[in-house]
Amino acid sequence: MTEFFQELLVPFQYDYMLRAIWVSALVGGVCGFLSSFVTLKGWSLMGDALSHAVVPGVAIAYIIGVPFALGAFVAGILAAGAMAFIRAQSRIREDATIGIVFTAFFALGLVLISLFPSGVDLKVILYGNILGIAGEDIAQVVGISVVTLIVLGLKWRDLMLYCFDPNQARSLGLRAGALHITLLALLAATTVAALQAVGAILVLAMLVTPGATAYLLTDRFGKMLWISAGLGVVTSLGGAYASYFLNGATGGCIVTLQTLVFLVAFVFAPKQGILASRRAVRKGAAAPASRPVT
Amino acid sequence: MSNTAIAAENATSLVVEGVSVIYPNGHQALNNASFRLGAGTICALVGVNGSGKSTLFKSIMGFVNPTAGTVRINGMPVRQSLKQHAVAYVPQAEEVDWQFPVSVSDVVMMGRYGAMNFLRIPRAVDRQKVEESLKRVSMWEFRDRQIGELSGGQKKRVFLARALAQGGRVILLDEPFTGVDVKTEDAIIALLHELRESGCIIFVSTHNLGSVPEFCDQVVLINRTVLAYGATADVFTAQNLAKAFGGVLREFEFEQSTIQEHDGQKVRVVTDDERPLVFGKDGHLEYMDREKHEKLLRERSEEND
Repeated sequence: MTEFFQELLVPFQYDYMLRAIWVSALVGGVCGFLSSFVTLKGWSLMGDALSHAVVPGVAIAYIIGVPFALGAFVAGILAAGAMAFIRAQSRIREDATIGIVFTAFFALGLVLISLFPSGVDLKVILYGNILGIAGEDIAQVVGISVVTLIVLGLKWRDLMLYCFDPNQARSLGLRAGALHITLLALLAATTVAALQAVGAILVLAMLVTPGATAYLLTDRFGKMLWISAGLGVVTSLGGAYASYFLNGATGGCIVTLQTLVFLVAFVFAPKQGILASRRAVRKGAAAPASRPVT
Repeated sequence: MSNTAIAAENATSLVVEGVSVIYPNGHQALNNASFRLGAGTICALVGVNGSGKSTLFKSIMGFVNPTAGTVRINGMPVRQSLKQHAVAYVPQAEEVDWQFPVSVSDVVMMGRYGAMNFLRIPRAVDRQKVEESLKRVSMWEFRDRQIGELSGGQKKRVFLARALAQGGRVILLDEPFTGVDVKTEDAIIALLHELRESGCIIFVSTHNLGSVPEFCDQVVLINRTVLAYGATADVFTAQNLAKAFGGVLREFEFEQSTIQEHDGQKVRVVTDDERPLVFGKDGHLEYMDREKHEKLLRERSEEND
């Protein structure tokens, strides 16, 4: 029995595992926090687009020797700007615009990486490399996370109002444009941080799944923030930890765990779960003359 | 400047002067629209779809900048008046995400954001305003409901309460009676009357022509520009409406009214909605006085029984 517990503590004996676990948990928490806004604003596709659009930024950053986070952030903002510009200047619909822009950026990234193969490993960008994260990269992730948490912590009510009713925000004299750009910049920044943990392909899960799960579990925005951030921390921690025993990809483990939690909520959530909905329908059918809400 | 002049300048007013709006795609939504409203009025904004009603609302709220002309609220430019939270907006039901995880009191609290500090942490005065506003629309007992769990009339009242909590002196309502039961409609109208008494300007965009004479004392008729504005009895004429609506409305002429005795025996019904607008002899408005009308209907049904 003691052996079994000792076995469970093994991952904590390795510095690289400890680092991977706490950095994942931090990134997961920040992404989870932001995911409440992303899911309610309907920006899931935007998150996916940004996570792919940052690739050329990372490549250029490695080539010219600046911090990867800077390159990725600039590329993300440029992509968001390009989408806004195309949408404002043409009749092309939003989903097509997003499709065009993010594939264009991603393709440019592929070209750059194949032209300068020594600079950066494509697999690291696509799948992340949390087990190999060190020094400067950790500092960048921590920096992004701290800034994001501070901004969200201070301005979450304004951002909530902006997501819920941008017109009301404007008519109260709040600067809706500034709120829009703030949210977009936070999205780009956390995308960059999450890139390290799970890679470009799975970033979207970190930015959507915890928020979507929390949305099924509560109908108060304040609670939703706590639940989604908490889920982000716990699933990332658990996923990174489990990846040691499963010997699997850390990103894959984290996202699989998030999906499992989502499925549990999807089925069993007290009000929004499919079981609860069935119950409500049966109850409604049993008492057809029930009083409508007046 | 004398004190009275300053007071007059700061009094509640809405002045739209020569406003033109041309959108970036070249579409001219408004051309040289002008009117002015003084304190204590309920004014209907009437026009067909695409006549520039929502563009006019947007320029009053500062969402679009007029290409020419000015909007002044309480004597100030729009931007400045927004900073003082002078303009409250009650949106159409379709504009709201009813699945959003907020409660009734959360929504009403959003009316207070402009008056709160940087962190938007509610103070006692904000909570008190929210409670007062919710009680005023009889929604206090629903304060913890998620907004999607309300009926159409209740939803409307929540957003009215938000406007009350905000304390705006100019209140814009977009189609306030769509999806609302008659009881709530009466309650809303009673509340609007109270607000008018307290000096507010209530500006109501509606296509529900029949209800306009019942509760609006002024009307602005628009079709890309202001066709006419002023007291309801003067502006809301068959001739003006024909100008505003062209052939869009259904119109019926009866040689004899089936509902009400007329000296002229001839009635015109104009409608694009469940409640028709009825002109009697010489184009005078029927049903100006709702209670009288309903009493008459009751008497008639009693007679027939």
